[in-house]
Amino acid sequence: MSDSATPAGRESWERLPARLRPRAIELPGAGRMRLIETTLLVLVGVLLATATLNDVVRQTHVNGRLIADMRTWRAYTGHDYHNLSIEQELLGPTSSQREVICGNMSPGPPKTRIQLCLAIWGPVVDGRRAVHGGWYLRAKAEDDVRGLRYGCFGPASRGICPR
Amino acid sequence: MTVAAQSERAPARPRFEWLTPALAWLLALLLVLATAEIVIDGAAGHTALIPKSPQITGWLHGVGEHLGYRVFLIAILVMTCAYAALLALTRHAGQELISKRSALIVIGALHAAVFAGPILLSTDVFSYIAYARMGVEHAINPYLHGPAAIAGDPVYEYVGHDWRHVATAYGPLYTLLSYPLAPLGVKGALWGMKLEALFASAGTLALTWRCARSRGFDPVWAILALGANPLYVIYGLGGAHNDLIMLVAMMAAVSLTLPAGPSSRDGDTWSRSAGHSWRREAAAAAWVVAGALVKATVAVLLPFMIISRRRLAPILGALAALIIGALVGYAAFGVHGIDLVAALNRDAAFVSTDSFATEIAHLFGKPGVFPIDHDLLKALLVLIVAHLMWRTWRGYDWVAAAGWTLLAISVTSTWLLAWYILWPLPLAVMARDRRLLAATLALQALFILHQISPLLAPVE
Repeated sequence: MSDSATPAGRESWERLPARLRPRAIELPGAGRMRLIETTLLVLVGVLLATATLNDVVRQTHVNGRLIADMRTWRAYTGHDYHNLSIEQELLGPTSSQREVICGNMSPGPPKTRIQLCLAIWGPVVDGRRAVHGGWYLRAKAEDDVRGLRYGCFGPASRGICPR
Repeated sequence: MTVAAQSERAPARPRFEWLTPALAWLLALLLVLATAEIVIDGAAGHTALIPKSPQITGWLHGVGEHLGYRVFLIAILVMTCAYAALLALTRHAGQELISKRSALIVIGALHAAVFAGPILLSTDVFSYIAYARMGVEHAINPYLHGPAAIAGDPVYEYVGHDWRHVATAYGPLYTLLSYPLAPLGVKGALWGMKLEALFASAGTLALTWRCARSRGFDPVWAILALGANPLYVIYGLGGAHNDLIMLVAMMAAVSLTLPAGPSSRDGDTWSRSAGHSWRREAAAAAWVVAGALVKATVAVLLPFMIISRRRLAPILGALAALIIGALVGYAAFGVHGIDLVAALNRDAAFVSTDSFATEIAHLFGKPGVFPIDHDLLKALLVLIVAHLMWRTWRGYDWVAAAGWTLLAISVTSTWLLAWYILWPLPLAVMARDRRLLAATLALQALFILHQISPLLAPVE
C-alpha cells in the first residue's frame, strides 16, 4: 500500500485520533486481529466442509432412490427404456420422497410419444419401490403436466388426479 | 566453525531429489491427458455435460465416446489432484523445478486442448451470442427482452431453457464487444467467443505474471496456479465465459497500481519508492470500471483501491470512465443498459444447488434457501466488506482485501457457479496474505467434491 497522501493530506488525517488514522502498512500489533480472523476462517471452513459432505451423502441417497424408481418403472411397464424423466416436487416437497417417473409408451426420442407416468414412494426393497398408481401424458407435454394428464389409475388418482 | 558444525548446518538434500522434476512432468502430463479426455469425449456430442451446439469439432468425431458423469468426474478429480500436487511440489522445490518455458508449455497445451474442443458444461455462450444477434440482426434491445424474442433465430435452440426469457445481465461494454460477432453466424460467433476467451485468458496470465513479479512472488508459480487450475481451464475457458474478460480488466487495473520491475515481497518499500503517476492511478480505476461494464462484480475492487491510495486520482479516473460508459450504454441501449443494479438484484434472487447457502440449509434440515436467508447473507456480506475496508484503511494489502471480498461474494451468493470461484484466484496468487490463496483453493476443492455424488450412485 502506498503512503501516497500529500503532505497537506497527511496533516488533515493527523487531526484524527491515532487509532483512526490511515496507515501505509499494518502495525506489527495486527497479529491479534489476524489470529481472530484465522480462527473465524477455520470455523467457517469446517462449517462449509461439513455442509458439503452432508450434501454429497444426501445427494448420493437421492440418486440411489432415483435408480430404484427407474428400475421400478422398467419392471412395471416391461419397457427397457433409459430416457426417463423424474419429477420430484409434483406430489409434495422433495423431502416427501414421492416421485413421478415418466417414459415413452413406444420407442422414440424422449417425450415424443404418449408417456406413462408412475407415482412412486415408500422404502427401497430389493432395488425397487412401490407404485401408487399413475396417469398418461400426451406426447411433447413439457410444462403443464397437471393440465395435460389423463387416464389416471390406482391409489394415486384419489385426490391427485384429475387436476 | 568446525567441519562437523558446518556439515550439521548444511541443508539436507533429499535422497530422491532427481525424481522431483520427473514427478513434476508426470503431474503436468496427467493434467493435459485428463483435459484431453474431457475434450475428446465432449466432442462426441450433446450429453448432460455438453450443451447442444452447432458442430464445430467434427475432426474429433469418432475418437471418443459421449461424455458421461463417470468419465468427467474421474478426469476432473485426476486434474485436481495433479494440480494440487504440482503446486505443492513447485512451491517446495523452488523456482528451478519448472522453468518459465516449461510452465508456458503446460498452460499452452491445456488452453489449446480446450480451445480446439466443444463448449463444456454451460449454455451461457449461446446466450451471449443470442443477445448479440438480438441487437445486430433483429434490432431488439437485449436489456429489455430475453432470447425468446428471437425464437426463429438459428441460435435460439442452443440457449439454455432457463434463460430464454431472461434479458441480459451483462454490462453494456461486453454487449457492444459481442456485437461484431453477431453477423458471423452461430458457428462463426461461437469461434469468436472462444477466441475472445482465449485472448482474455492469455492477457490475464501475462498480467498475473507481471503483478506477481512486481510483488516479489515467483511468477512461474503464480501463472501455474492460475493457468493450470481445473476450474479455470475446464469451466472458465471450456465454457468461453465472459468472466475471463472481466478478469483481464481486473488484472490490468491491479497491474497499473504496481511498479514495472521486480521488488521485495516483504513490506511496502516498493510502493513508496515507485512514485506512481497520477495518470496510472486514474487509469487503474478506469480499468476497474471497464471491467464492471463487462460484469459488475469486479466493481468491488474500487473502494479498496481508493481507500489504499487516499488520493483524488482513482476517484476521478473511475468517475470519468463511469460517465463515458454510462453515456455509451445509454446511447446504445437506453436507460436499461446502464441499470446494472436491477440486473444484479434479479440474479441475486436465483438459487443454485451448488451454492454453499443451499448446502448449509440442507445441513440444518431446511429444504432450501428462503427470502430471509437472502437478507441474512447480504447483511453478512456487508459486515465482511466493512471489516475489510477498515483493515485496508489501517494498512492491510488492498489486493488481498478485494480478493477476500470476491471470495465472500461467492460464499454468500445463493447462485453459485464454478466460474464464480475463479474471480479471486488471480488476486490470491499475488496477495501478501497467503490465507486468501489457501481459502480460495479450499473452496474450489469443496465445489469439486460437491459434484461427485453421481460417481457414488450413478444415475443412468
